[in-house]
Amino acid sequence: MTPHFTTIDFARHRDLELKIQNKHNFPLSLSMEDENNTFDPDLIHAIFKLVWTRRALERERNDVADALDCEVGAGTSKKNRQTSANGKAIKLSCELLRILITEAVQRAATISEAEGASKIEATHLERILPQLLLDF
Amino acid sequence: MEKAMDVEMEREGGGEEEEEETESVSDVLRDRFRLSTISIAEAEAKRNGMEISEPIVACISDLAFKYAEQLAKDLELFAQHASRKIVKMEDVVLSAHRNEHLAASLRSLCDDLKAKEPQSERKRKKTPRKENKATTSVVHIPDN
Repeated sequence: MTPHFTTIDFARHRDLELKIQNKHNFPLSLSMEDENNTFDPDLIHAIFKLVWTRRALERERNDVADALDCEVGAGTSKKNRQTSANGKAIKLSCELLRILITEAVQRAATISEAEGASKIEATHLERILPQLLLDF
Repeated sequence: MEKAMDVEMEREGGGEEEEEETESVSDVLRDRFRLSTISIAEAEAKRNGMEISEPIVACISDLAFKYAEQLAKDLELFAQHASRKIVKMEDVVLSAHRNEHLAASLRSLCDDLKAKEPQSERKRKKTPRKENKATTSVVHIPDN
């Protein structure tokens, strides 16, 4: 049965989730001091910086190609100063990524439980994947 | 003319080295990221009374890592669009626009983080009931 993610299915999915919530009596608080561990802000920052460096290099390379034609010095363009991030933005990003993982596991667990299995497997994950990717 | 071409070659040679270096840095980061993902995913599975199989966690980790890279790109574009060089909280909140509940959760977290600033004047203090699910609604209960 191919899952379609219509609003009806989404609502049913939601009801299942609410049932699980109530059953386990989770506070479901989205707080920084959650008992769930979260990503290390430095790690996320490093990943971001890596991407931004890569992109800056790309831009610089393109600028060099242009510079040979237009005689404009590469690296003088404002675009080449690298993007950086606010500490709070990194914290929020950590939280966003943590929610992504949590949502994926939680939704897959719902499917798994509905099937009566005790372990989350590939088939469970693949059923929740489309809607997950649409939500994020 | 030849000199200019030599400079370009040198640059490209240096560029290749840099690329290799970023590759190995990327691998290290990917591994660290996977470790964090494993602990978050296993804790969450436990909360749901489930176990999660190892290749699935690896799959989720790779997905999340790719998402993080995509997020970095999006954040840079949003900041650039606002004529900024520094990515701020509002950029992150904007990147969550696809799901309303997710956006609301992030926005309330954003307000909390702002409220923690000692110098900034506090606006009407919100104590929203924060949920970690994107599918349920967030209830805001203003304090006064």
